[in-house]
Amino acid sequence: MCENHLINTIFTDFQKSLDGEQEIREVIRNICKEIGQISREVTTVLQVIHHNEAGIGPACLKARESFEKAREGYGKLKEAIPDTDYYKYQEHWRNITQRYCFLIALTIWLEKGILATHETVAEILGISAEEEKTGFHLDIEDYLCGLLQMCSELARLAVNSVTRGDYDKPLQISKFVMELNAGFRLLNLKNDHLRKRFDVLKYDVKKIEEVVYDLSIRGLRPKTDEQ
Amino acid sequence: MSGRYHHRGNRNKNSNQTLSSVARETAISLPADSPVLAIFRAAALKLNDRQDRHERLVKLSRDITIESKRIIFLLHSAITKESQEKTLKEADERFQKLIKGPIRSIGLELENSPAYLHSRAVTAGFQEYIEARTLYSLMATKQIITFPEVVKEFSYTIQSEDGEERTVVTMLPEIDYMLGLTDLTGELMRKAINSISSGDSDECFQACQVVRDMYTGFLGITGNRLLGKKLSVTRANVAKVEMAVYALRVRGGEAPPTLLLPAAPSEWEGPTSTGNFSDDEGYY
Repeated sequence: MCENHLINTIFTDFQKSLDGEQEIREVIRNICKEIGQISREVTTVLQVIHHNEAGIGPACLKARESFEKAREGYGKLKEAIPDTDYYKYQEHWRNITQRYCFLIALTIWLEKGILATHETVAEILGISAEEEKTGFHLDIEDYLCGLLQMCSELARLAVNSVTRGDYDKPLQISKFVMELNAGFRLLNLKNDHLRKRFDVLKYDVKKIEEVVYDLSIRGLRPKTDEQ
Repeated sequence: MSGRYHHRGNRNKNSNQTLSSVARETAISLPADSPVLAIFRAAALKLNDRQDRHERLVKLSRDITIESKRIIFLLHSAITKESQEKTLKEADERFQKLIKGPIRSIGLELENSPAYLHSRAVTAGFQEYIEARTLYSLMATKQIITFPEVVKEFSYTIQSEDGEERTVVTMLPEIDYMLGLTDLTGELMRKAINSISSGDSDECFQACQVVRDMYTGFLGITGNRLLGKKLSVTRANVAKVEMAVYALRVRGGEAPPTLLLPAAPSEWEGPTSTGNFSDDEGYY
């Protein structure tokens, strides 16, 4: 303890706010453990799409159920974090949220063959899509990252569906991922995390292209080609 | 940036179907304006917005850094008591300009966006500002300005065109304040050493004590990575100051006062040739 009272107060006050921060982080970590676990469950459940066509529907339903649970977790997270501090603690849930964006986008694509919008994903997680001064929301970068992860999964699915004898799906995937690829090119990406993830996309595109090519030259491509 | 794709080698040039032609076919079949592209256009706007704001903030932060550095320099340049008053006044004016200028702009820029998203853009400016501001407050009032006091200065009442008043606050993260304080120890070290050469050993001892107190305080703080990194620098500053004070005490008597006192403030009577150190002991 030093004698200078004022300096003393400065440091004790700061330590107090650090302690408060630690407490919040502890709470966040616990919630994140929970929703992280759920996200891993969904990932496992969705693996069935690679080897069992019939399993896709039930897997999506199961995934939807888990998203409900995740939604509760996000509700708790929203409570735990001071309104203005979303980005202060973001690193705790960033990866998990990206994973959820991936899972939700994949589920919706499997169900309806369309791209889930930022708003839809946010709604499923029960959070806002709008970035405002305060409040918990779905960061646009996390959403985009989730889409990129989905593209990698779809590239894998394209290969596996051919193995399964489904020559239709690769074409559908190819069209979808091409469109996403064109979309990502509209973005001005900085040299950051998202950019690095985007650079992987071309390998996914290439993989899908090769599958479609293999089908084409062997005449395995479905004749009903009305694109 | 057009819709071309990375494709690898045309292995089957003679066949009418190649890897690239298949790919091109898919690319061409894409509608020019699909809902998917609309989603990405919206996302592009959001990302651009964010990046532009970031750039503007970095620029503002840099302005604050430069001006704060100059103010610190100005504060160091004061040697005599009279000139110190003048420089303090000037420094205060320049602080006010900073508060009403760039710092206010940061508040306005972040009025509708989450402040922590961009805290990395402005942290350098804030730290430097805190360094200058605390140094100033130490010189003017002998007290370090506290975090709540600084925050109070960052609150503005803005009158919009339709006459409505609203309050805009420039958010200063407490960690930036603390990081600024660690830098302050460096400035105090410099100041202590400067005050030796200007003969004001009283000030030197004071500065030394403040640096020590602050180091003691930082030692007690746990749980922050950034502060931990700066701790070693602070430690080096303490060591330097203590060495300087030690030298002043031990060898102060050896140098003729004329050498020590270029500005020769009359009230200071340094120990002359053969030490009356006992006097010193009493004072310090």
